Amino acid sequence: MPETTDREITVKDFKGHINPDWCPGCGDFGVLNVLQRSLAEMNIAPEDVMIVSGIGCSSNLPGFINTYGMHTLHGRSLPIAQGFKLANHGMHVIACGGDGDGLGIGVGHLIHSMRRNVDMTYIIMDNSIYGLTTGQTSPTSGFNMKTKSTPFGNPELPVNPMALAISAGCSFVARGFSGNPKQLVEIYKAAIKHKGFAFIDTFSPCVTFNKVNTAQYYRENTYDIQEDGHDSSDMQAAFARAMEDGKIGTGIFYQKERPTYETPEKETFDIPLVDQPLGVDEKLASELNAQFL
Amino acid sequence: MSEKRNVIVRIAGAAGDGIASTGELFGKTCSRMGLHVMAYNSYQSAIRGGHVWLQLNVGEEKTRCHGEQPEVALLLNKTSPEVHIPDMKPGGIVFYDVSKIKDDLTVMRDDLNYYALDFKALCDFEGTSPVMVNVMLAGALIQAIGLDTSVGMEFFEEKFSKKGQEIVDVNQKVFNAGIEWAKENVKDFSVALKGDGTKRMFLTGNDAFGMGFIAGGLKSYAAYPMSPATGILHYLSKQAKKCKLLVKQTEDELAAANFIIGSGQAGVRAATATAGGGFCLMVEALGLAGMLEVPTVFVSVMRGGPSTGIPTKQEQADIKLVMGGNGDFPRIVIAPKDTDDAFVQAARALNLAEKYQVPVIILSDLFLSEHYQTVDPFDFSKVTIERGKYMRELPKDAARYKRYEVTDDGISPRLVPGHEGHMYCSGSDEHDEDGELVSDILAGLPRAKEVRLKMHPKRMRKEETMLKENDVLPPEITGPADAKLTLMGWGSTFDYIEDACETLRADGLSVNHLHFTDLYPMDKEKVKEILRSCNEIVAVENNMTNQMCKLILGETGFEITRSINRFDGEPFTGEYIVNEVKKKELINA
Repeated sequence: MPETTDREITVKDFKGHINPDWCPGCGDFGVLNVLQRSLAEMNIAPEDVMIVSGIGCSSNLPGFINTYGMHTLHGRSLPIAQGFKLANHGMHVIACGGDGDGLGIGVGHLIHSMRRNVDMTYIIMDNSIYGLTTGQTSPTSGFNMKTKSTPFGNPELPVNPMALAISAGCSFVARGFSGNPKQLVEIYKAAIKHKGFAFIDTFSPCVTFNKVNTAQYYRENTYDIQEDGHDSSDMQAAFARAMEDGKIGTGIFYQKERPTYETPEKETFDIPLVDQPLGVDEKLASELNAQFL
Repeated sequence: MSEKRNVIVRIAGAAGDGIASTGELFGKTCSRMGLHVMAYNSYQSAIRGGHVWLQLNVGEEKTRCHGEQPEVALLLNKTSPEVHIPDMKPGGIVFYDVSKIKDDLTVMRDDLNYYALDFKALCDFEGTSPVMVNVMLAGALIQAIGLDTSVGMEFFEEKFSKKGQEIVDVNQKVFNAGIEWAKENVKDFSVALKGDGTKRMFLTGNDAFGMGFIAGGLKSYAAYPMSPATGILHYLSKQAKKCKLLVKQTEDELAAANFIIGSGQAGVRAATATAGGGFCLMVEALGLAGMLEVPTVFVSVMRGGPSTGIPTKQEQADIKLVMGGNGDFPRIVIAPKDTDDAFVQAARALNLAEKYQVPVIILSDLFLSEHYQTVDPFDFSKVTIERGKYMRELPKDAARYKRYEVTDDGISPRLVPGHEGHMYCSGSDEHDEDGELVSDILAGLPRAKEVRLKMHPKRMRKEETMLKENDVLPPEITGPADAKLTLMGWGSTFDYIEDACETLRADGLSVNHLHFTDLYPMDKEKVKEILRSCNEIVAVENNMTNQMCKLILGETGFEITRSINRFDGEPFTGEYIVNEVKKKELINA
């Protein structure tokens, strides 16, 4: 389990030396601020964090925060993040990206990551539109929504990220809104603390290409499920919240710790792989040869 | 038959008839006696019911080929005769069981010796079942060609002792029934092969790759099952606990390739393996490894293509594929020549990947990956682990670390993540020495162009450094330097071409062999010089379109215009090449 540090950590420690080039008013600013705050409040040292992103506006995030980062391929942040985490489980690993990245091109990896339960956090910045490619329909765009690629209305139903995650065996399932930092910081902290794969779908409105799912829309249509008395250990209740029509719940839908991917392989992961010596000794070498003699 | 130095054996039947276990029993008998075996299995993409066979060439000296015409056959089902009797060498011997094959085989050919055993009569004791016919026939075969029958007895002990002594006993009894029958009935075939007493390993190229990886310090392996690469996954999974390896079967090849990039970035040695079709899916990640400068090793095993192609058959037609990807990035392509070399190159690939911080591709093929062969135990002590500019520590007060620092050799010092004051972000977009992207709002501006013109050549310069540092093996010539004819090959055809050259030279022809193990990068001047020193070059490629010739032409401008090609799904044999050389009149005596 990665450690917190003895040094006193503040939000300033996470301030990147590049200013984000997101559109003014983009929801991703809120996500960045909340993530920096969450890590600081948990007193996690920046050098103990690896943030891996895919491709898209929101995937630029690792460049704007002072931690280790990898900005990779569209849809592939999760396998990279898991390969990293299992090679050095001494670090906190956070993957992030947009809804196209995680629920479109990368959705196969998402499902398997959830059932695999490597100890890491995954944040989707969900704006229900393809922003970087200038406004096409996304996996979370609403039915009938008009976009550049669906000028007559989106003929497909949107993905339901909460229901998908619960059914895929995700051990921490939450939804937040970048315009509600007070709640979001508590969700992110719980997710990072969670031992296992933690998934947070975060509404992060696109001010340029999505005129439907705006900050105003989310302020008016979301409610806090914890305040409403939701029991996050109850999977049936979590499903019910995920399937609600009308008001959109935010908060922790489901959380249940179970053994992480590394747990059954205790001998292999006693110390991080990166700290282990390489190669084999003479005795093991002759054992390996002997298997074929 | 008089005393001879090798014998070619074929074991054939339906999938599920026990071909593999018979082959293992026979192979281990030979390898423990100190004989040499080269085996090739022909199988189909079916778990039961397909017709499969295994051909083993056993010799007192190293056997380079699995050979063409079998001299001894063990036929296990009723479709076997029509497939294999026509292939037999005149005077050869055939073993079968009367309950499985009822036809009169002499009608097909009368120049062979047929031995029909009757399992029901010979093995009429408790605990036997018809699935053990192969064990009886193996006993007859091993006795008939004069091998040590005690190894078989040991084999059953090792294989079945966990299942109980009765299973061991009954197998030994059935095996013995075959031996006794052969002692009485087989009199006219004596090969009397004598081993040198040195126990050798009997394994596949995929096993050797796995052992090479372990020797070379592999820590993270991810793969998606695909023939003929799956053997590496099986081998490493079995050793994972013992050797403290992370072995992960991922959801697809995209995940596998990207997974090892994550592990490589963390600072551990990481590899994946797949077949050509799977490699197609990995090409985007290959470019990512090139751009992020993450050490990674990709084994790409060629099989009959294109598309799903001929999944269980041999071809060497993926050079264009492994040279693929968008844009330019440095890489290394190695095509090991045999099973021993598979061990050596797997370990070497891990070193090269870290030294140059590039993806290294090991280009294997179905034959190399899956055929069984005897080799001497691998010398792990000869494997060195060289990590290049790898840094585990950097003091907090050291000058600010630049992950992609521009250097003369193109290789930047590599600090693995986890250090206060030295954070960096690696980007798949074009980036500066710090890793900062210049692709978005900076794109097209003077600073972005300046960065591009510095960083792109910095990465590509690594290929020049590889040549300067002599890390690329030049092609080797075996045989007389002034030969009239040069047979040019690459990768796993090494042994076949050597075999062909030996035969041709014995016939008085002047031939030598030019072999490439390292395909890319290519030392243009050195290769051109070698090619020009040859009198007449004929390429030998296990493909239709001479992909290696095209690579050579593209790199050196030297065109090889004559070739021997095979793309029917089978590997070459020495005999096949010799026949082609003669048929095409490629050389005058």
